[in-house]
Amino acid sequence: MNDILTLMTPRLLSFRNKKGNTARLLLLGIIGVAFWGGLFAVSLRLLSYFQSIEELGNILAWKLLSMVMVIYFSLLVFSSILTALSKLFLSKDLLLVHAMPVKTYKIFCARWIESAVDSSWTIIIFTLPVLISYGIVFKAGLFFYILILLVLLLLSLIASIISAVVVMVTVIIIPPGRIKSVFVFLGLLLFLLLYLAFRVVRPERLVDPEAFESFLSYLKILQTPSAPYLPSTWAFDAIQASLTGITHTLYLNFSLLAACGGAMIFISLIIADAIYMKGVSKSQTARKTLRKPRVPQNPRVLSFLPMHVQAYVIKEIKVFFRDQTQWSQIFLILALIVIYIYNFKVLPLERAPIKTVYLQNILAFLNIGLASFVLTAITGRFAYPAVSLEGEAFWIVASSPIRLKTFLWIKYFIYFVPLLILTEGLIIATNILLQVSPFMMWLSIITILFIVPTVVALGIGLGAAYPDFNSENAAQAITSFGGLIFMMIAAVYITAVISLEAGPVYRIFMSGIYDRSIHMSQWVWIFGAFTLAVLISIFTVIFSMTYGVRRLTRISRRME
Amino acid sequence: MIETKNLTKRYGSLLAVNRLNLFVPKGTIFGFIGPNGAGKTTTIKMLAGLIEPDDGKIIIRDMDIRQDPEKAKQQIGFIPDRPYLYEKLTGLEFLKFTADLYGVEPSGFLKKAESLLDMFSLIDWKNELIEAYSHGMKQRLIMSAAILHDPKIIIVDEPMIGLDPAGIKMVKNLFRELADSGVTFFISTHTLSIAQDLCDKIGIIQKGRLIATGTLDDLKIQAHASSGDLESVFLKLTREESFHQGYSDVPGVSP
Repeated sequence: MNDILTLMTPRLLSFRNKKGNTARLLLLGIIGVAFWGGLFAVSLRLLSYFQSIEELGNILAWKLLSMVMVIYFSLLVFSSILTALSKLFLSKDLLLVHAMPVKTYKIFCARWIESAVDSSWTIIIFTLPVLISYGIVFKAGLFFYILILLVLLLLSLIASIISAVVVMVTVIIIPPGRIKSVFVFLGLLLFLLLYLAFRVVRPERLVDPEAFESFLSYLKILQTPSAPYLPSTWAFDAIQASLTGITHTLYLNFSLLAACGGAMIFISLIIADAIYMKGVSKSQTARKTLRKPRVPQNPRVLSFLPMHVQAYVIKEIKVFFRDQTQWSQIFLILALIVIYIYNFKVLPLERAPIKTVYLQNILAFLNIGLASFVLTAITGRFAYPAVSLEGEAFWIVASSPIRLKTFLWIKYFIYFVPLLILTEGLIIATNILLQVSPFMMWLSIITILFIVPTVVALGIGLGAAYPDFNSENAAQAITSFGGLIFMMIAAVYITAVISLEAGPVYRIFMSGIYDRSIHMSQWVWIFGAFTLAVLISIFTVIFSMTYGVRRLTRISRRME
Repeated sequence: MIETKNLTKRYGSLLAVNRLNLFVPKGTIFGFIGPNGAGKTTTIKMLAGLIEPDDGKIIIRDMDIRQDPEKAKQQIGFIPDRPYLYEKLTGLEFLKFTADLYGVEPSGFLKKAESLLDMFSLIDWKNELIEAYSHGMKQRLIMSAAILHDPKIIIVDEPMIGLDPAGIKMVKNLFRELADSGVTFFISTHTLSIAQDLCDKIGIIQKGRLIATGTLDDLKIQAHASSGDLESVFLKLTREESFHQGYSDVPGVSP
C-alpha cells in the first residue's frame, strides 16, 4: 500500500503546488454552481410535475431514473476508457515509473486510482442534483442520501475497472496511439446514432393529439424491464427500492454492486499482473507510418500568396487532416449540420396558429442567431485551439522571420474562409427550406457576412491570448478559462447584433406586409441600428486580434 | 558577427543574465559553457529572438534584434536542445515548410533538401511522418532545417544531444567547414570536450555573469593554470568564482 501511495505522491504534490488564478477559479466556480443549481431546479420541477400526474407520474419518474443510471454508467465507461488509456499507456512519465523497483500491479493500481478519480468526479457531482431531487420529491430520509453517494461511487469503481481491463486487453492487439482515435470515433458514432434515432422518431409528434395512439404504445415500451445483469440496473433497483421502502430488494441490489466492485478489483489486479507490462512494452515501440513518396509542392491555387503564407496554410491543412481525432470531430459536425437542416425541413409550419409568412420570417430571423451559435461552437472547437495546437513546436514560429501578427492573421484566414462558406451555406439552405422573402434572405446573408469574421477573430484572438502549448487534447482547450471568455463574449456579441437588428427588421418587414410607408425618422433609426451593428463587429475584430497579438508576443517573449 | 551589450534578463527576483557583454567575430565558433542554471539557455533564447531581454542590446550582423527582429532572424539558424517538431509532417515536408518560411528559392529546394537529408542520414526517412523519428533523427532534421536557408549565424543549444558517434563527427566537420566559409556559431554546451575540440573561443558564464572569455590558452592564463584541459580550467574558474561570490558579502573577509 505504501508503494501505491508513494507512486501517487507526485500527482498529489503537483495538485497542492498548482498556482490557481483566483479570478479564474471564482468564475469557473460560479459557472459550475449555476449549472449544478440549474440542473437541480429542472430535475425538481420535472419530478414534481410527474408526481402531479395520476399513475403515469411514477412510471415516468422511474423510467427517467433508469435512463439517468444507464447514461451515468455509459458516460463513466467511455470517459474512463480514454483516461485509463492516457494514464496507463500514454503518460509522459511512464518510462520513469516503470524503471522503479515496484511491482507492476502496484503501478497499475496507482494509475487506475488516478484514472478513476479523474474520469468520474465531475460526472458524480453533476448526477447528484438529479438524485437529490428524487430524495426530496419522494420524501426520503438521511439513509437515502448516503446510499446514492455509495451507489455512485461503486458504479464509478466498476466502470473504471471495466475500462482499465478493456484498455489493457486492447493494447495487446492495437497500438495505444490508434486506440484513442478508435474510441473517440466510436463514442462520437454512438452519440450520433442515438441522436439520429431520437430525431427521426420525432418526439414532438407525441404532443400531437392525432398521434396519441402511438403515445400509448410508447408508454408500454416505457414499462419494459432493463437488462438484469447491468450494474446500472442494480443501482437503479437499489435506489428505487430505497425510495419505495422495499428493503430486501435494496439489500440484494446493493450487495450485488458491492460484491461486483470488490471482485472486479481482484480480477483486474490479476489481469494487470499478467499483461499490463506487455502492453506498456508494446506501446514503447516506435510507430512507423509508411507514406507514398511524394515531392512536396505548393498547390497552384495558393500561388498568389507570399511564400511564408503558403508555408503556414499548407502546414496547417496537412497537420489538421492527418490527425484522426480531428476527423471524427468533422464527422460529428457534419452530422449535426444535416440534423439542423432536417429540423427545418420537418417544421409543421402549415399547422401553426399564426400566419405562415409571418412565422417563416420570424424563424428565419431567429435562425441567424442559431446559425451564429453553431458557428461559435465550431469556432470554439477548431479555431480557438489553433494557436495552442502549435504546442511545444511553437519555438519554430517564435524563431522564424515572421511577425507574430502575420502568423495570427494567417491562422485567421485559414479558419475564416471555410467557416464563412459553411455558415452561409447553412443559412441559405435553411432559408430556402423556410421559403423566406428575398429581403430576409439578403438580410441573413449580409448579417452572417459580418458575424463570421467577428466570431472567428474572437476565437483566434482569444485563443492566442490564452494559449496552452502543453495541452495534449485540443478539444479540451475550449473548456479552459480563455475558452469560457470566448464563449461568453461571442454570445454577448451575437445577442447584441440580433437585438440591434430586431426592431428595424420588424419595421421593414411589417411595412412590406401591410404596405405602409416608413418615415424619415424611422429610416434614421434603422440606419443607425445597422451601422452600430457593423461598427461593433469591426471593433470586435480589431480588438480581439490586437489583444491576441499583444498577449501572445508577451507570452512568447517571457517563455522560459 | 554577434555582439551583446549589457544584456540583462530577470525572472522575478532571479537575475538570470547579468549585464552580459560579448563579441563573436565573423567565422568564429564560440562555445558558451557554464554550470546548470548559469543562464546559458536564457542567453541563447535571447540571441535567437525567442525571449526579450529586460535590458541591453543584441546586435546580429549590424542589426539590433529588438529594432528589426524579423530581418535579424532571417540571418539566423536556430537549433534548440529539445527537438519539438510538427509530428504530422514528413521530414521532407518540414524542410519545405522551413524553406518557404525563410524564402528559399523553390527551384533549388529539392536538390538542396535531399543533399542535406543525405548528409544527415535521413534520406531513407524523408517521406515518413516525423512522429516515427527517434530523438536523434529529429535533432538531425532540425539541424538540416537550420542550415537550409544558408544562415550567416547559427545558434545551437546542446548540439550533440541524441547524436551517435558518427553523427557527432559529421556535425563537428560540418560546423568547421561552415565556419571556415564565414558562418558564425554560438554554441551552448555542457560537453567540455566538444567545446575544447570545436570552438575557437569560449565564454564561461556563472550565475548570469560572464566570468571568463577567450581562447583555451587565454582561459588557462585567467585560471593561472599553465597546463590542463578545458575541464580543469572550467572547474578552477567556476570554483574560484563561487568562492569570491560566497565571501564578497562578508565584512572583513577577503578571498
